[in-house]
Amino acid sequence: MFRMLTEMAGDAAAFGHFGASAGYALAARRAMHEFHTGPDTWQHIAVGQRRWANLNPRAVMHAKPMTSEDYYNAKWLVEPFRIPDNCLVNDGGRTCIITTAERARDLRHPLVTIMGMGQHNPSTVFQQATYLAGPTGARLAGKTAFNMAGITLGDIDACEIYDCFTYTVEITLQDYGFFGPGEGEDWFSGGTIEPGGRMPVNTSGGQLSEAYHMGLTPLTEGVMQLMGRCGERQLGPATGTKEPEIIVCSDNGAILQCHSCYILRRW
Amino acid sequence: MMSYDKPLPQINADTKEFWKCCKQHLIKIQKCSDCGTLRLPPSFLCPRCHSRNTDWITSTGKGSIYTFTVNHVAFHPAFQGDLPYVVAVVALEEGPHLLTNIVGCDPAEVRCDMPVEVTWDDVTDEFSLPKFRPVV
Repeated sequence: MFRMLTEMAGDAAAFGHFGASAGYALAARRAMHEFHTGPDTWQHIAVGQRRWANLNPRAVMHAKPMTSEDYYNAKWLVEPFRIPDNCLVNDGGRTCIITTAERARDLRHPLVTIMGMGQHNPSTVFQQATYLAGPTGARLAGKTAFNMAGITLGDIDACEIYDCFTYTVEITLQDYGFFGPGEGEDWFSGGTIEPGGRMPVNTSGGQLSEAYHMGLTPLTEGVMQLMGRCGERQLGPATGTKEPEIIVCSDNGAILQCHSCYILRRW
Repeated sequence: MMSYDKPLPQINADTKEFWKCCKQHLIKIQKCSDCGTLRLPPSFLCPRCHSRNTDWITSTGKGSIYTFTVNHVAFHPAFQGDLPYVVAVVALEEGPHLLTNIVGCDPAEVRCDMPVEVTWDDVTDEFSLPKFRPVV
């Protein structure tokens, strides 16, 4: 195992730098230096997503409520990240079948279509990256996807954001334009992203609290919400939220080096 | 020195010269002979103009902390005794960044943009690691 660990870390292993948590923690620390953010912002994301997981019987953290106090009492992993800032480690699988709209109309589930998509990959060796505090690839990928869809942020009913770490959710929503640099704490506070909130985010619990299935966690949740297959956590009257027609989803890779944005619509 | 049990850099054709110079307590940065772009980590062609003509310059060993983490868990057991320890990306005066450790400083005192200078850790007969400490 140690051999795998050090081979993947390359020369960084010589300095005790291992894994994605450490890489994103470097990004998050730089963001704390460039604008107002940190644990006081991220706790809203960790706690808010946990509330969704508590409504999702498939979620790893379904039976484990978490308060802000629990968040602050959690141990540091790689500071500035505590354990609940990190996604889960789990087994499992997800599938999403994509076909033509014509064929999908004949199938037994409601039809969900792709309105727009965009990708941007800054791709520098991460040590040399100067985009860790934004704009990340999310800025251009988001613009491309929104332009293709012909919509604006005001048309979005919910977000399913790739959440390897709490900070990834903040920087992605910030780069999409939901709030300006440093305004995240205000935007997230008051239950914005939670059941009953004005902009639901990661409604399965996400990778932080449902399960880590790479980009398929946000993708499948976006599709299932638009199909109306989410039971107790279903957006709409069941959760005191708007019935969704349009959901923006994201995927992200390496240390913020790759980003995909796509916008789904209920037909 | 024989008992050093942390992972060591993995030398390849690109990085051989860099680590050889580290043993002489010099941080060498590649410079494209054609367009002048500086690059770390070493690589066989310039990412800007794709030229393979490469010179090396010597860093002053001074810079500032671009970003850092404080590690509270030893993912490799050899780091257990160092906890909590600081990993940082240092922006060298010449421009390129280097992943390293900050030593000689309480982790709680480390800040982004803090001026730092190299201090060499001679870990084995083959390797000296460039680590950094605050400039007093």
